[in-house]
Amino acid sequence: MQQGLSAGDVLKGIAGPYPHYALGAPYDEMFDRDGLVRQHYAAFDARLSQLPPEELQRRQQACELSFLHQGITFTVYSDNQSTERIIPTDLLPRIVTAGEWDRIERGLKQRIQALNLFLRDIYSEGRVLRDGVVPRSMIYGSKHYRREMRELSVPHGAYVNVCGSDLVRNEAGDFVVLEDNLRVPSGVSYMLANRDVVRRAFPGVFRRMGVRAIEHYPRELLATLKSLAPFHEDVSIAVLTPGVFNSAYFEHAFLARQMGVELVEGRDLLVNDNVVYTRTTSGLKRIDVIYRRIDDDFVDPLIFREDSSLGVPGLFNAYRAGNVVIANALGTGVADDKAIYAYVPRLIRYYLSEEPVLNNVETYLCREEKSLNHVLANLDKLVVKAVGESGGYGMLVGPHASAAEREAFAEKVKADPENYIAQPTIQLSTAPCFVDGGVEPRHVDLRPFILQGEETVIVPGALTRVALKRGSLVVNSSQGGGSKDTWVLAG
Amino acid sequence: MLSRVADSLYWMSRYIERAEHTARLIAVKLESMIEQTQDESQASWQRVAAALSAEEYVSAHDDAFAFTRTLAFDRSNPSSLLLSLRHARDNARQVREQLSTEVWEHLNRLYLRLQPVAIESIWVHQPARLFRELLEDMHALEGVTYSTLSHGEGWYFLELGRHIERAQLIGRTLDAHFGNAATPGTPAPKYFDWLVLLKFCTAFEPYCKVHTAALHPDTIAQFLLFDAEFPHSLRFSIDRVCDALTRVAPGAPAARRAAVERLAGRLKASVDFGQVEELMGGALAPYLAGITRQCEQIHESVYASYILYGAETVL
Repeated sequence: MQQGLSAGDVLKGIAGPYPHYALGAPYDEMFDRDGLVRQHYAAFDARLSQLPPEELQRRQQACELSFLHQGITFTVYSDNQSTERIIPTDLLPRIVTAGEWDRIERGLKQRIQALNLFLRDIYSEGRVLRDGVVPRSMIYGSKHYRREMRELSVPHGAYVNVCGSDLVRNEAGDFVVLEDNLRVPSGVSYMLANRDVVRRAFPGVFRRMGVRAIEHYPRELLATLKSLAPFHEDVSIAVLTPGVFNSAYFEHAFLARQMGVELVEGRDLLVNDNVVYTRTTSGLKRIDVIYRRIDDDFVDPLIFREDSSLGVPGLFNAYRAGNVVIANALGTGVADDKAIYAYVPRLIRYYLSEEPVLNNVETYLCREEKSLNHVLANLDKLVVKAVGESGGYGMLVGPHASAAEREAFAEKVKADPENYIAQPTIQLSTAPCFVDGGVEPRHVDLRPFILQGEETVIVPGALTRVALKRGSLVVNSSQGGGSKDTWVLAG
Repeated sequence: MLSRVADSLYWMSRYIERAEHTARLIAVKLESMIEQTQDESQASWQRVAAALSAEEYVSAHDDAFAFTRTLAFDRSNPSSLLLSLRHARDNARQVREQLSTEVWEHLNRLYLRLQPVAIESIWVHQPARLFRELLEDMHALEGVTYSTLSHGEGWYFLELGRHIERAQLIGRTLDAHFGNAATPGTPAPKYFDWLVLLKFCTAFEPYCKVHTAALHPDTIAQFLLFDAEFPHSLRFSIDRVCDALTRVAPGAPAARRAAVERLAGRLKASVDFGQVEELMGGALAPYLAGITRQCEQIHESVYASYILYGAETVL
């Protein structure tokens, strides 16, 4: 697992507190090719150089303790006993310049605009299908396409109200989009929690560097949700959670509390005459907007999975009747499918007549024969992903897999080529992390959060996910990833 | 307030109260052991187990170590300190967003602190100290709750849970010393046991201020049952229950409220006008059983009116 950090690349380390900082082929966020500190990291480097490792260790522990005490944990189950673990948070912030951020922001706004137009199109006229830009079978054959959503108008045409896109930085130093998360993206509470602890660990340099604030995210989310209601006074909003056993429960509770709205479970809601109510101690109370954090399948057992006990019987009909708004709208998953992803640049050109500001990672659709042959011939160089999966499951990282694993995966791809896409192994950029008492490079990605109601809002910050194992490229928290604070500079 | 939230707050508070009472009984018992003979100590442990509804999890042959393990750390004893704290925290987690950060973190720390403790590790050196420290933390939690939460409906559900639990805990503790639950065949309580009873209810000093250090069973019963000002008396708790009931579910229809308040009023009358002289000749046990039954009825009525009501009854 030494991808990108093979022995030949290893430098002697870098002067100052970085004796074990080995630069490899990937772009490094803090150091340039010659091992010199990039300008926007200079102030932070100066501070870091003053702090002995023991002091950093102490601050790291303070961060972890703070997470534990706040209950920012996920539960691991084994033999009747359940243990709660914190999601590892790294002490050292990842820093993004004003210029870089400006491009990211423009690119993401453009992207969500195109994706929302696309969703409206495929749930109404289907122009994009008639014009042959996207094959019909990819839409109507997708398990995330919801026929029930056809001809249903959503406020401001915004199907996706909260989006968390995953960006990575390639070897050339350019940000590219790896994935759009359009269903129920999570992680924003970690963005805010990381900020809270890391700012306390480096208060002085935080202030001096002019880091842009992100604390207004809950307020912006609230404004976005309010803008979806058909009227503007006394809008009653609720966050719908699967409950305390969900791994993102902390986030659901956090957002509800920060917005000052009710956190509800399915069993708190009931539908009468196509109107949604919560059961309160004083009687029933009407709900106008639901920010749902449960998947489409579980929203309404009468329409979708009938074995769902998380949802609310009758909710979908109330939605269709226009008596309640659900955010994100149902059926958005059809557009964050890994195969549709490959079409997003074409969708931007089709709907907006603009060139994409942010590029995609080059993607081979195995449904196209030429691409399939290329993929099968180059399995050792590519990452192959099943279209409908997420969280790092159902994928093959070619360069890290054994010949037998590649062989077995090739058979799966041949059996069902439409279900697979492939991408070159992307050398995710590295950023300094505090690991085992020293500063070492680890691979990172970037997940900013985009809000779309009446307006499009992106809070200047993101969740930077970290592959904490040396050399690993997998940043998913379900597979040993952690996260770190992201500082977007004002200018 | 969401009915589910009210439910969680209410139970969170009941479990915290139960945990606090359990920790106090164990601490006082461990501290008082050196003053007691073997037989006295054993009888006193039995009373503690009875007061904590754990009779079936202990045996007459248990030693102090076994009693403490069962009452504090045993996961199969549903009223153990550890499980009470865990249930309190589980309920708190369900309504995390309704609590202040201070309350949640305080409770969470309390739970995390006890979670990894093995009895063997505390037994050698002053085992009572752990329980004393937990008690201090729980008192701090009560203060943090008082001063960082808005005293709105949620707060009154906490109050309701705390005092409905406390009333029943005091009832059972008195019953274990005066009434049916006092194990037959064990020595009757003596002077020192009355002192310990007062300490079980944090009542020793407040009692002395009213009645001096002269300890008579009748005056002790009088104090723990009917004193209007002492926070761990039955009457005080019932007062708080009644007060909380006038403040929860402010928008509920009058008919629903009336059902609950009628029961509360009846219970309040029976403690406001209770006479200890009438109870001491064997009438105490049925009286306490009556109080417990009325507390249970209030609980059921609160649930039927505010928490588990059917939608068809309001639409």
